[in-house]
Amino acid sequence: MGLGLSAILAACGSTAAPAEQFDLEGPPTTGGTVRVGFVGGGASDTLDGANATNLGDIARAVNVYSTLLSFDDDYVLQPMLATSVTPNEDATVWTVVLRDGVSFSDGRPLRPEDVVASFERIVDPEDPKSGAASLAHLQEIVPVDGRTIEFRLATSDTALDESLGQYTSIIVPEDFDAAHPVGTGPFTVESFTPGQSTELRRNPHYWGEDGPYLDTVSLLNFNDTDALINALLSNQVDAVAQIPSALTEVIGADERIRILDSETGMYLPFTMRVDRAPFDDERVRQAFRLAVDREGMIEQVLSGKGTLGNDMYAVFDPSYPDELPQRAQDIAEAKRLLAEAGHPDGLEVELVTAPIQSGVVEAAQVFAEQAAEAGITVSINRMDLTAYWTDYLEYDFSQTFWYTRNFLAQSNAAVMPGAPFNETHWEDEEFTALVEEARTVVDDAARGELIARAQEILYDRGGYLLWGFANQVDAYQGYLGGFVENRTGIPLSGFRLDRVWIGEAA
Amino acid sequence: MTHATTPDSAVDPTTVDPSGAGPARSAPDRPARRSTLVTRTWAQRQAKVGVVLTALIVLIAVIGPLLLPWATGYTATGFADRPFQDTGLFGTDNLGRDVLSRFLAGGTSLLLYSVLATALGLFLGMLFGMVAAYIGGWLDALIMRSNDVLLAIPQLVFALLAITVLGPQPWVLVAVIAITHAPRIARVTRAATLDVIGEDYIRAAEMYAVPRRRILFREVLPNITGPLAVEAGLRLTYSIGAIASLSFLGLGMQPPAADWGLMINENRIALSLQPWGVMLPVLAIAVLTIGTNLIADSIARASASANVGEK
Repeated sequence: MGLGLSAILAACGSTAAPAEQFDLEGPPTTGGTVRVGFVGGGASDTLDGANATNLGDIARAVNVYSTLLSFDDDYVLQPMLATSVTPNEDATVWTVVLRDGVSFSDGRPLRPEDVVASFERIVDPEDPKSGAASLAHLQEIVPVDGRTIEFRLATSDTALDESLGQYTSIIVPEDFDAAHPVGTGPFTVESFTPGQSTELRRNPHYWGEDGPYLDTVSLLNFNDTDALINALLSNQVDAVAQIPSALTEVIGADERIRILDSETGMYLPFTMRVDRAPFDDERVRQAFRLAVDREGMIEQVLSGKGTLGNDMYAVFDPSYPDELPQRAQDIAEAKRLLAEAGHPDGLEVELVTAPIQSGVVEAAQVFAEQAAEAGITVSINRMDLTAYWTDYLEYDFSQTFWYTRNFLAQSNAAVMPGAPFNETHWEDEEFTALVEEARTVVDDAARGELIARAQEILYDRGGYLLWGFANQVDAYQGYLGGFVENRTGIPLSGFRLDRVWIGEAA
Repeated sequence: MTHATTPDSAVDPTTVDPSGAGPARSAPDRPARRSTLVTRTWAQRQAKVGVVLTALIVLIAVIGPLLLPWATGYTATGFADRPFQDTGLFGTDNLGRDVLSRFLAGGTSLLLYSVLATALGLFLGMLFGMVAAYIGGWLDALIMRSNDVLLAIPQLVFALLAITVLGPQPWVLVAVIAITHAPRIARVTRAATLDVIGEDYIRAAEMYAVPRRRILFREVLPNITGPLAVEAGLRLTYSIGAIASLSFLGLGMQPPAADWGLMINENRIALSLQPWGVMLPVLAIAVLTIGTNLIADSIARASASANVGEK
């Protein structure tokens, strides 16, 4: 918290002077209401943080509940309700020590039984929540004493702590009822209308030392981006989550408004199916990776709000191999590889795309233009969303999007045998062996070594063309303090509204 | 013999003598002959305005693509700069492509598909309308009731449905718009045909056992061109609107194609920041539809005044 605050001060101090001066030097002032707007949501909006899917759900999950661990602004796990989470020597048993003096918003103390009940609720076979898939190997959760709990797993998992740090791994009381939510988060739910608005009030029993500073928070749903931005510019909302990167400059030109531009690990890669021609030939895959102008992609698709990708994901994982040379456009080499692979006169491919995430259809168009230089003729087949998801995982050449994750979690979801979203149909014995071993090695350095070797395989012959990582761009009124750059990819500093406060006019 | 009863092919209902007299009558009638549908249409000021407006946009749509990249320095898909910048005459679009280049290249598809859809719709509607009126009986009932069913479905909803099922290909686009036009044209055609088939020259042709197809195309068709021309103009206007709307909704032309409807959709998020990406295609579509509508309107007046003159 203290670190977070000093970062806030640094961030606020360096921004340009707003039209009216506000005292954001601190210490934070208490009180007031902040209105946060975002696009999306509807009748299926939920107060159950374990099922959070859209932006409103996530904002409620983060602010009404707490998790055992959580990812900080640098995407590093930090203690929350747990003061320590440690694995045994083969990562099959994890011991969690709970923080002292934590109460739920109704005043009852947090007990180990509540934690057990919370995770049994998440993996409930009758009604599995979002986090159930990554906890499938959870055999039993046993309270050891008044402060300690053991998570016993069927298989080794050195990344269990990351699963515990997901915002959906919420801790709730044993008798939890989503209609009358009780959590340990900084705010409580005052009122909730799905698809429209949520009123949150400061939790009087909050365990954290700093914050929350605001009395109340309104979370407001908007139907489209235009309405959202107009609401911000006319001061009907105080902060908006996710603005189109192309509009950053015009919104930022308003001197009352601040832009929050955060690097994240989110990526919109092209997926090449490695078990079917032409992409079963790794020379073709490399040629495509050399045909793309990555800087151009970031400029055109993300309006410059992004960082270069090197065909490997999990950029914030401590084991990410930074030392591998950055791949850049090399048309001659791409042509040579294509000729070697039996396509001396170039290649025609169909690229299946759909507006699954902002920037995806745009990326397809930019790539089609760039690839033409290397003799690759890309015909774009833009589908509507329903049709796209019907055959998703079947396309030879397509696109997808993934949010920030570390390497093992991402690999489990997308490239390991049995992964639910194996878009590239990746099945590589050497790679699988390395990842499986990494799952069992508790020592950070040794595991990092294995992960780096697995990453290098993706770099050399993987099925992703990962050209860049998109920034998260939000905007807020100049009188708000407490927003800092945040790598999680969750908007507005990870929706950590407990750190937000209203500055007084100076 | 039938030649004698065939009206002058100069698309002129007024020269048709209801009494079915021979060609000798029409020769001395010079002043009347000059007053054709075309001349009466052109005599109106709004027709001239319409023609100028339409010609302007048609010229842009036809010549535009030929000017690239000579006139602007960019192709329609090449990148000029970052998204929504002010570079060039009209700035850049959502992916940093030159707006003017894409505007010049983007009209051809709209215009071509609109004309094709209207022509196809006109052909289908005319055929069914004339057959229904001329044959009559159960076939008339069948055709016209099927028409009513098609008319009950809103045009855009029908188009959305068909394109979602069949995919956004150009031929689907043209066929779907044509099919939604056909029932409306068929109605007009049927009504106009019914007026004509009671005439003596049709009876005369029937008496001479002229084949039905020949009667329809040589005797009936030339005498209903007035109302049909009005309808064609109106339908063209609707075609332009419908195809642009479908492109805007993402069901017409597909990216990265340069297309006016698509441009509006792609650039609308930056309307306040970089309006040209939206304004140029909007203006072009507006001018084009106003132009074609003015022409259709003038034809309608010309045709109406002819009918009045007849009586």
